[in-house]
Amino acid sequence: MILGIAWKNFYRQGVRAFLNVFVTALTIIILIFMLSLLNGFQMQAARNMGITDIAGGQYRAPGFDILTPTEWENQTLKVPDELSRLSHEEKAEVLIQQGQLFPNRRLYPVQLRGMEIEQSLLELPLGGLKVYGPEPGEVIPVVVGVRMAEKAHLEKGSIVVLKWRDRNNVVDARNAQVIDVADFINPRVDEGVVWIRLDHLRTMTVRPNEVSWVAVSDFKGAAPAMEFHTVEMLMADLLALLQQDRRNSRILWAILMFLAGTSVFNTQILNIFKRQKEIGTLMALGMDAQKIVRLFTLEGSLAAVGAVALAAVLGVPFFMWFQSVGLDVSHLSASTMPVRERLFLDFQFWEITWSVMMVVVLMILVAWWPVKKISRLDPTLALRGKGIT
Amino acid sequence: MGSSLIKLNGISKVYRVGGEDFAALHEINLEIEPKAFMSFVGPSGSGKTTLLNLIGGLDTPSTGDIFFGDVRLGSMTPGARARYRRENIGFVFQSYNLLPVYNVYENILFPFLLNSRKEPEVRDRVMAMVEQVGLMPQVRKKPTELSGGQCQRVAIARALVKEPSLILADEPTANLDKENSYQILELMCELNKNFDAAFIFSTHDEKVTKYVRREVRLEDGYVHSDKQRNGFGDLE
Repeated sequence: MILGIAWKNFYRQGVRAFLNVFVTALTIIILIFMLSLLNGFQMQAARNMGITDIAGGQYRAPGFDILTPTEWENQTLKVPDELSRLSHEEKAEVLIQQGQLFPNRRLYPVQLRGMEIEQSLLELPLGGLKVYGPEPGEVIPVVVGVRMAEKAHLEKGSIVVLKWRDRNNVVDARNAQVIDVADFINPRVDEGVVWIRLDHLRTMTVRPNEVSWVAVSDFKGAAPAMEFHTVEMLMADLLALLQQDRRNSRILWAILMFLAGTSVFNTQILNIFKRQKEIGTLMALGMDAQKIVRLFTLEGSLAAVGAVALAAVLGVPFFMWFQSVGLDVSHLSASTMPVRERLFLDFQFWEITWSVMMVVVLMILVAWWPVKKISRLDPTLALRGKGIT
Repeated sequence: MGSSLIKLNGISKVYRVGGEDFAALHEINLEIEPKAFMSFVGPSGSGKTTLLNLIGGLDTPSTGDIFFGDVRLGSMTPGARARYRRENIGFVFQSYNLLPVYNVYENILFPFLLNSRKEPEVRDRVMAMVEQVGLMPQVRKKPTELSGGQCQRVAIARALVKEPSLILADEPTANLDKENSYQILELMCELNKNFDAAFIFSTHDEKVTKYVRREVRLEDGYVHSDKQRNGFGDLE
């Protein structure tokens, strides 16, 4: 019975009711869109980082920090037996060292990344290095990424001087030939990185059997002297960035929610002022005050219910269209973001449920707050329209 | 309590207005019999509406007791008073106070819905009531599409449909022209004869006083006179 009256009263509000519903529906759609887009971003970034760099985690030499090149030489270890006996599908040994390229006689500091060439854990375009033997010749074969090639003015076949320091602090230099300019989907393993066969780099730096880390498919148990870094630890900076983006999107959502809530709140205030006589009549007819509060709250809450329905009506086709075209993020490939393809939404059921519930609960709250005073209303004053001043 | 429908024992009502006490009613003692057809008359501010509100359980007296049969209203919780109104009282207001979103049928049905009755089981009673107040052609119309007299008929039907013991009508003819006033009064006379409900009017309309069988005159919150009359509304 209450629902029937509430619906009729709500419907009677006309354009005002529709605007409340529309703004709230828009809030829901935007919230779901922003959160799902960030999920999609995170999913693509995690996948790209996973298949090109971090895999299912890394066993690192203690203290190794990719952001501190001056300490790379000191943070290497011999591969423990527990890891070296893993198959090539389960692990990839990596040695990181500093080096300098001299393209066009200019110094270009680079990260020399020695990659175990037989590994198949990571999806890296290093096939060209496989044709070379385990010992580096007079010219060291290297692979660089598209971005690196562009910045250092390198191309396939370029021969440049490569300089490095070995374990004995002896500086050595030799020509390096770019045997391939490859398309890495992760800028973090492209810009400033020169890919070399692991056996070549070990020989060049006199670090037999040493690594900076061993990427693995998943946790393989404790390995002596090495620290296991989970995917979350290795993606911490990216996750923190996304977390900040989520905060920003929630601020935008909160602003929209505030607008929608204010509109419903205002409507409710107007309702109880304008409809005091009606409230008094309901009391005279024997409806108790709590039930009238429920009636008016329900009326206000219908905006939220209508918004959920409208969000479904407008949102589903919009999301379907978006999933068919995606969002062009090619501009991000110029940054260090490990995304390069079109972005698609990744819907998380509980996240959406929670968000929609949050909107509905907030709307019910703003619908209830102004009308709760009805429960203290004197029916005789309400009948005269003087109960609430 | 005898056979009284309503008994008022020493009722006073004091309002606090602008920091000062204002006595709207003083020591009112009245007994109202079942099926009464009576009015409280007097000038504005004499306490008519206050008295109706007290009898209807919309307000509580400052001192004294009101009995509905053997039940003392003063001992009721707000929820119990709401139930008392829902089950025993029908209100008719000067400005009709119909629910604007409902049509004639739904307005008359509404008291049943409040009593948790299902629409199909009371449909015939509602339609009979619509017929009785002569609004069959307007049954699907909203209050905004009705004249004042038609609105008041809906209000009367709404008050009577649940067959309450008492109808409280606050200035029911004040917003109506002469012809509509008489029609409404005739209708209420008729309904008083056909139903077991007592009617109490608050009014200063002389037309009403021609119909009632008892007239209680109030002045400044006191009962000035309480007279039986031979009104048009005499029971046959």
